[in-house]
Amino acid sequence: MRNGITFFLGLFCALGLSWGALVVGTRSQYAGIKPHYDDNEGDNFPQRPAGVAARGQLVYQDLGCAACHTQQVRRPGIGSDKERGWGDRQTVARDFLYEARPQLGTMRIGPDLANYAARAEPAGMIPDRLLAYLYNGHGGMPAYPFLFEKRKIAGERAEHALKVRTEAGYEIVPTGRANDLVAYLLSLNHKYEFPEAQPATHDKGEEGEKK
Amino acid sequence: MSTPNQNDPRLQQAGATDESIVTAHERALETKPDRHAHYALLPLAIVFVFSGVIFYAGTYLNSFSGHFSSKVFDETAGPPGAGAAAAPKIDPLTLGKRQYELACITCHQANGQGVPGVYPPLAGSEWVEGSEDRVVNIVVHGLKGPVHVKGTAYGAAVMPAFGQVPGSGYNWSDEKIAAVLTYVRQEWGNTAGPIETARVTEIRNAAGSRAEWTEPELLKLP
Amino acid sequence: MITTSTTAVAAEISDIDVSARRPLLYLIGSGLLWLVVSGIFAVINAVQLHTPEFLAHCSLLTYGRVHAAQETAFLYGWAGNAGVAIALWLLSRLGLTIFRGAVVATLGGVFWNIGVLLAVAGILIGDATSFPGLELPTYTHWLLLVSFGFMAVPGVLAWSGRKHETAFAAQWYALAALFLFPWFFSIAEVSLFLAPGRGTAQSVIAAWYAQNVYSLWLAPIALGALYYLLPKISAKPLPHYEFASLGFWTLIAVACWTGPRVLVNGPVPAWIPTLSIAAAAVVLMHFWIVWLNVRGVFATGGSVVLKFAAFGFASYLLVGIADAVFSLRSVARVTQFTYMQDALTALALIGSITLIFFAAIYYIAPRLCGRAWPSSALVRAHFAAAIIGFVVLVVALAVAGWVQGQALNSTASFADIAARTRPWLLVATAAQALLLIGNLLVTFHFLKIVACPREEAAALTFRTPVAMEASAS
Repeated sequence: MRNGITFFLGLFCALGLSWGALVVGTRSQYAGIKPHYDDNEGDNFPQRPAGVAARGQLVYQDLGCAACHTQQVRRPGIGSDKERGWGDRQTVARDFLYEARPQLGTMRIGPDLANYAARAEPAGMIPDRLLAYLYNGHGGMPAYPFLFEKRKIAGERAEHALKVRTEAGYEIVPTGRANDLVAYLLSLNHKYEFPEAQPATHDKGEEGEKK
Repeated sequence: MSTPNQNDPRLQQAGATDESIVTAHERALETKPDRHAHYALLPLAIVFVFSGVIFYAGTYLNSFSGHFSSKVFDETAGPPGAGAAAAPKIDPLTLGKRQYELACITCHQANGQGVPGVYPPLAGSEWVEGSEDRVVNIVVHGLKGPVHVKGTAYGAAVMPAFGQVPGSGYNWSDEKIAAVLTYVRQEWGNTAGPIETARVTEIRNAAGSRAEWTEPELLKLP
Repeated sequence: MITTSTTAVAAEISDIDVSARRPLLYLIGSGLLWLVVSGIFAVINAVQLHTPEFLAHCSLLTYGRVHAAQETAFLYGWAGNAGVAIALWLLSRLGLTIFRGAVVATLGGVFWNIGVLLAVAGILIGDATSFPGLELPTYTHWLLLVSFGFMAVPGVLAWSGRKHETAFAAQWYALAALFLFPWFFSIAEVSLFLAPGRGTAQSVIAAWYAQNVYSLWLAPIALGALYYLLPKISAKPLPHYEFASLGFWTLIAVACWTGPRVLVNGPVPAWIPTLSIAAAAVVLMHFWIVWLNVRGVFATGGSVVLKFAAFGFASYLLVGIADAVFSLRSVARVTQFTYMQDALTALALIGSITLIFFAAIYYIAPRLCGRAWPSSALVRAHFAAAIIGFVVLVVALAVAGWVQGQALNSTASFADIAARTRPWLLVATAAQALLLIGNLLVTFHFLKIVACPREEAAALTFRTPVAMEASAS
């Protein structure tokens, strides 16, 4: 290439085009996404996460949970996300509108967690049980004993002490991080029926070219 | 000195000088290629394949881009708004129940029985199940003075105005009034029909701005 | 100084190599050490996949953190250091000027490595950002950006001071890499950290960034090395060179659009993955043209440099085709969240980047040190370990991913999926261990060539290169 200036301009414009479309274009589209006020519920959706849950997301991020868990449900018909109970509808951009850093994840070594609270709580999941899972590991998930501390029992056993056998006079208690993480996990619920989350309806005449 | 073996992994021999690489390729750019068939075909082949690839990409983009809308998450969708993209309709019973529990419940109670001698009941009330005009006006403008419900007189309390009228502390929209009335008219054994928002608007406009209704005035309404 | 007992040595080793010696040997050496560190993390991770209790009690070594640390050490420690070294060497050699700014580059390299060390340590204590490809904790970003600027100085000087105004393709690729990285890194810094986009806009931008790390930074350096090594060693001009600039611009202009294809079916507007999938098809043009130019690398048997380059180039072409195929929605619905992603990443990062970087290092290091590699056994052992480990790893992860994907799309339990993928993950662990052994060998060998005394220089002489004829092949 003969002219150095043209070369630089070319590099700049080539990067600039994709920056314009994928970075600026995306951001400007997202700037137009508004929450949805539901008259029936009398609230805005998506709801802002509680402070404890937001702190718990930081713990989730810190431990790198997104390396094994996704938080994105695919629409019914793609894979078996609906059949596994992970969600009746796909997650959309509005679901994550108020999350500081969405933990979408890229791998499903463990189950999808987007609607974890929505399916676990009706099935009887309580914080103490989830804390026990974190302490011991569960299925293929490793144990996270460092989220707990062993301390001397002062007077009575703590209310949330884990029911595990340990040294006499000591108890295993979740740290603040563990409690925050559990609060976050038990807040994961993207069930609100946003209109854009419905799969497209196809008339009989239309060819749905699926690639 | 040992003669270097071309294949000795310990040292890769160089073939050409750096300068000659630059100049030889520079010259290759300037020289016109030989007029052999397969040399002239390559630029043509590149043009064709490039066009084909761009065509494929363009078609793919056309089919699956959802018109570049931020509201389309299913790539097989048509243009936005064509499908069932309407907002979920408001359920009057849910809204009405909520409104009832926000305000009405304090006086008329959760079971719609009111408080004997103070607040009239709504369950089985002829005012609730009867004329639309009367019940809408009661809620919109309020009711003052004695009123007879199911044979008993109630006169101690004043029902405030709930509609969007001057002097109202609630300013509920016509939709909310229609909803709460629809709810009340089918709850606790009541079997009257729903009330439409448009009807509430009509009745409110007809009555205009006024003080609370009294029983004799209401009885004059159809 | 080199005892130039033969003029051949002097002719082959230009003044460039003498002036470039310290910074480039430092960069290559630190790169190889980071490669070993990344390899250790990779082995730990691979074991944790089938044996979750491995090191689980240690908060520093929990799976998620080690995964992020491995990726960071690889991309910014190994590929960053080695890639910049190769790019600087290419620009100086082809610019036909001596290496200027050696001290600045070394300083930049030192602070770059401090930054990467801080980043890896920070990740292990929990400061990873959770953006794939950009897990570096925020407090290291400015340090890395500024150090990179320092490291790139000799390259810029070699370009502006180049002897011939028309630059050769390898120079375009190397210079593009040196400029594009700070640009897209700064954009990511602003759009993800200083003024983050809302919600999943961040995921789109992070995917754009991660693709650019490969397509606009590392792959151009690898391609530059290929474009240089082939004519240099074979002494023949590259065929169809008149299309090389088309191949170059197609990469730079189109590849940066392909990032968000990993968000297909995700919570982003559908046009974004669609655009990326379409771009992944268009960028195949770049692979075709580069194949036209560099396919001679497959024909020259014998030399370990060209053998590494051949495997690397084959991987590069496969990555292009695989990206276009696996991004299609019908395929992605099976392979999307599976080990297939890891297999493609390994194909890209270990195959096309690392193997080509090895080819370049095996060529460059003797010229920087003025002597041949001490041991042919070590070279052959490393080659065998690298190639076998790489191929087995990619195949094992690909099969594991396919099996996992099919099972995920059914209602098989996760215990069942783990049982089905376990044998393949064990094979992948063995492959990672083999790669680590190979990397240890090459690192040891590199330290040997740098440290060993010069009297062994007489054992192998450098042949004088000849001027290439510009005949069209």
